[in-house]
Amino acid sequence: MSAKIGSPKELEKLRKEIEGNKGPYRIIVSVCSSTGCVALGSKTILKTLREKLAAEGLEKDVEVKETGCLGFCEKGPRVTVYPGGISYFQVMPEDVSEIVDGALRGGKPLERLLLKDEKGKPAKRLEEIPFYRLQHRLLLSDNEKIDPRKIGDYISIGGYSALAKVLIEWTPEQVLGEVKRSGLRGRGGGGFPTWRKWESTRDAPGSPKYVIVNCDEGDPGAFMDRSMMEGNPHKVLEGLMIGAYAMGASKGYIYIREEYPIAFSNVKAAIEQAREYGLIGEGILGSSFSFDVKVHSGAGAFVSGESSALVEAIEGRVGEPRPKYVHIAEKGINGKPTCLNNVKTWASVPMIVLNGGEWFSKVGTERSTGTTIFSLVGNVNNTGLVEVPMGITLREMVYKIGGGVRGGKGFKAVQTGGPSGGFIPESQLDLKVDFDALTEAGSMMGSGSMVVMNDDACMVDAARYFVDFLLEESCGKCVPCREGLRVLSATLGRICEGRGEPSDLDTVREVTDLMKTASLCSLGKTAANPVLTSMRYFPDEWTAHVEDKICPAKKCKALIRYEVDAGKCKSCGLCAKGCPVGAATWEKKQPAVIDAVKCIKCGECLDACKFGAVTKVSGLQVPAKSVRGRR
Amino acid sequence: MKMFDMEIDGRAVRGREGQTVLEVARDAGIEIPTLCYSDETEHIGGCRICSVQVETNGRKSIVTSCSYPADEGLKVTTNSPKIRKMRRTILELAAVNSGPDVAGDFFSLAREYGADLTRFSSIVSGEMRSCILCGLCVNKCREATHDGAIGFVGRGVHKRVVRFPEKAQTCANCNYCNNICPTGRIKQGGPDPPFPTVDDVLSGRA
Amino acid sequence: MKLECSHCHYVWDYRGENRFYATCPQCRYKVKVPQGSAEKARPAQATLTKEPVKLRGTAAIVGRFLDRHGHDKEALIQVLLGIQGSVGWLPQEMITEVSRQMEVPYSQVYQVATFYKAFSLAPRGKHLIKVCNGTSCNVRGAQKVIEGLERKLGIGRDETTLDGRFSLETVNCIGCCAMGPMITIDDEYFGKMTPANLDGILGRFR
Repeated sequence: MSAKIGSPKELEKLRKEIEGNKGPYRIIVSVCSSTGCVALGSKTILKTLREKLAAEGLEKDVEVKETGCLGFCEKGPRVTVYPGGISYFQVMPEDVSEIVDGALRGGKPLERLLLKDEKGKPAKRLEEIPFYRLQHRLLLSDNEKIDPRKIGDYISIGGYSALAKVLIEWTPEQVLGEVKRSGLRGRGGGGFPTWRKWESTRDAPGSPKYVIVNCDEGDPGAFMDRSMMEGNPHKVLEGLMIGAYAMGASKGYIYIREEYPIAFSNVKAAIEQAREYGLIGEGILGSSFSFDVKVHSGAGAFVSGESSALVEAIEGRVGEPRPKYVHIAEKGINGKPTCLNNVKTWASVPMIVLNGGEWFSKVGTERSTGTTIFSLVGNVNNTGLVEVPMGITLREMVYKIGGGVRGGKGFKAVQTGGPSGGFIPESQLDLKVDFDALTEAGSMMGSGSMVVMNDDACMVDAARYFVDFLLEESCGKCVPCREGLRVLSATLGRICEGRGEPSDLDTVREVTDLMKTASLCSLGKTAANPVLTSMRYFPDEWTAHVEDKICPAKKCKALIRYEVDAGKCKSCGLCAKGCPVGAATWEKKQPAVIDAVKCIKCGECLDACKFGAVTKVSGLQVPAKSVRGRR
Repeated sequence: MKMFDMEIDGRAVRGREGQTVLEVARDAGIEIPTLCYSDETEHIGGCRICSVQVETNGRKSIVTSCSYPADEGLKVTTNSPKIRKMRRTILELAAVNSGPDVAGDFFSLAREYGADLTRFSSIVSGEMRSCILCGLCVNKCREATHDGAIGFVGRGVHKRVVRFPEKAQTCANCNYCNNICPTGRIKQGGPDPPFPTVDDVLSGRA
Repeated sequence: MKLECSHCHYVWDYRGENRFYATCPQCRYKVKVPQGSAEKARPAQATLTKEPVKLRGTAAIVGRFLDRHGHDKEALIQVLLGIQGSVGWLPQEMITEVSRQMEVPYSQVYQVATFYKAFSLAPRGKHLIKVCNGTSCNVRGAQKVIEGLERKLGIGRDETTLDGRFSLETVNCIGCCAMGPMITIDDEYFGKMTPANLDGILGRFR
């Protein structure tokens, strides 16, 4: 019997069948199998779990589900037990037995593996802890319930019912109208009104029309698209098809970054299953809508996440952007109208269809509606993915949800928007997070990465980090970006090495100005943002580097020396043991000495010293040998 | 074919549907400098020298005339002091890779705009062999020989033009590459285009 | 062998296999490897003679991947990724064969293979170490992990140890930003890395 679903009625019938056919299981154990928890060992947990069930003959009582990411990666691996939906964190293989036995007995949940709320009480429900309480998890909430490799799970929670509704009951214009009412703006970083992009693609002449899911997610620090594609690829597929229907597109591409192998594999499996069930192909669900989709892997280029460069990469060429005056909505893949949207944009569409655009527009702020997923990472206590309504303040993000800066250090800045964004200092923390407010502050929302930096960070060095990143990732086609970044990198390098002059800052300003006006694509145009925000909000650090040759944060190697405070030194010799080049030496009962000429500033001695006797000093004469750097 | 009126440097000109600003300007006899543009090969749009200011619906922006579609009522300024300064800086930046030893269009443009091609050389330099990585020679060679006796390798600042010794026999001595090179790097045609071999570049010898 | 960087005068014990240049772990400048040194390094480039692996049946291997991904030109990157996953790198014979079977210009295949960082045109070590240097991993101390690896293995980034055991690369974001600093070795992920736990992890890979 064919598995093909021929109509919405059959889909509903199948859903009821799956719901009623949950099997003989008494409990369900769901283990997060997204890359994050895999990195922390969830595969071992699965293995231990399966071995236990086999050994004790419990396979008919306990269902094992490999599910997606709940977002609190700091506390992975995560295991959730149903019924009850109790989530355990930082689970070790040794805990598996206790969890299963406890759940089968129906006893109390294991308190030591629960998260604690701000009073220290173990929280049975996620909403009790600050990290989750302030979130509004519309996109991510299904991740813990479904196995992304089993389409049945997605169908059982109502999956593909939005597509069914749209194909049979709505016209393409109605879909567009609903998306317009919702105020959805592109979640890839540009924040462009989605309905307008769809409308331009729909109106542009040419056939076939294409739709693309952009899962390149090149911004370092961002991993929400990965989480979405690994945990719930069907949701993105459904949104893609609804959009394709609205625009009259019949072919789709999903472009996934090469660094996300699990996402790639899960998406391929999802497409195959959807095809089996007739949800991809000819005459979907008995309508006249046909759609097919291919998955393309990236190959390690940040620039190929730019929309026209992505189209070039899909066509099998180098990912160099095209001139932006003719939009890909008019001439995209093979010169045909193409609509490219981010993963989260497509994933927002099914719920807009089911609940209405107006419902969506009520969440968030007036001009930035809905929720968006941020990755709160860096030197913050609670790192992970956070889905919040637009309009929450940065302070709430960093302190309430993030739990403040890690390790008791001070807050320096939060970097938003990746290499196209900028640094936001303490004074601006009450900014509401939405597309427009962040752009006004000189940064931008970008894909939603928020990297918290503590006071060990040097803002000049941080600006240099981004310039160097973009230098390596620039495609090299246009002169302003390629050569401008080369000049900026060399100039910032000199400044960090103590050879900066005040005229260097003028060069930086002139070159960044040119890059903004004359670059071909937004990589070059926004490359200046990290440098300019760093100069705007932290001018003292720049003056210190250029005029006084001091690094206030004591980060820039050429401007610091490692020294031993003889008063605190206990002559234990740990620093000398840890030193890889023999620069730190000590003799019994004498304070340790660090030879500044041999020292390579690796920091091992400082980490090794338990008495705080090793310090970094900036402003003293640093031996000439280590000051020389790149030409 | 739809015709329309627009304005370049205060002059009324006629444009045809599908033309770029550069094409309309050239038809009207107005000079806009270019380096990586040629009507004989596929469009690149990388040197950015042909940047002009356009005004449409009261909004002004800087665009490259070789790629911007001409349209009804467009107001173009090709030569304001701001644009000239921009072009000068672009030439100075292009010289970071090529070095000051250049000829041809690049040399004459540098002289015309008063560009100091050694401005950034104390800070940083690239290949220093008169190449601005425009890509014209690579495109022409691919058109002439399909496989290409020369090609690009690398990305960003590591981008170089190389020759493929294993494809040396495809070099047809057609002289397309040296005819189109805007910097005088390629002084004569094949069969030995003056570029390092692909292995020399990839292994770091060149 | 001991190498001294001509720029920052950093001296280190180079144990990589590049014959012509090494990357200084301190300033990342390219340092020339003295020729005729006593240790015979393994040839790093595919197109040099006497590669360690003699490839047979390139046509069949390429054909297999074309069947899987389609014969269209748009599948070029997917085919190259497939071949690299199977063979470990992209030898010149493969590139020639891909160009022939897919009817894509030879220079374009080389351009694609050198533009994208995922491709390697030289054999890599048995175990590929990728260190994430994305923003989150960077502020959590990835730089120290990279330096620690460079010191322990005696190679710079994009280089392979002489015994062919390890190759070292940096990547820009694996997507595990919450567990930074991250490294992957082959297909295994290791989070919350510090220079201290490097020895234990490297020892697991023979």
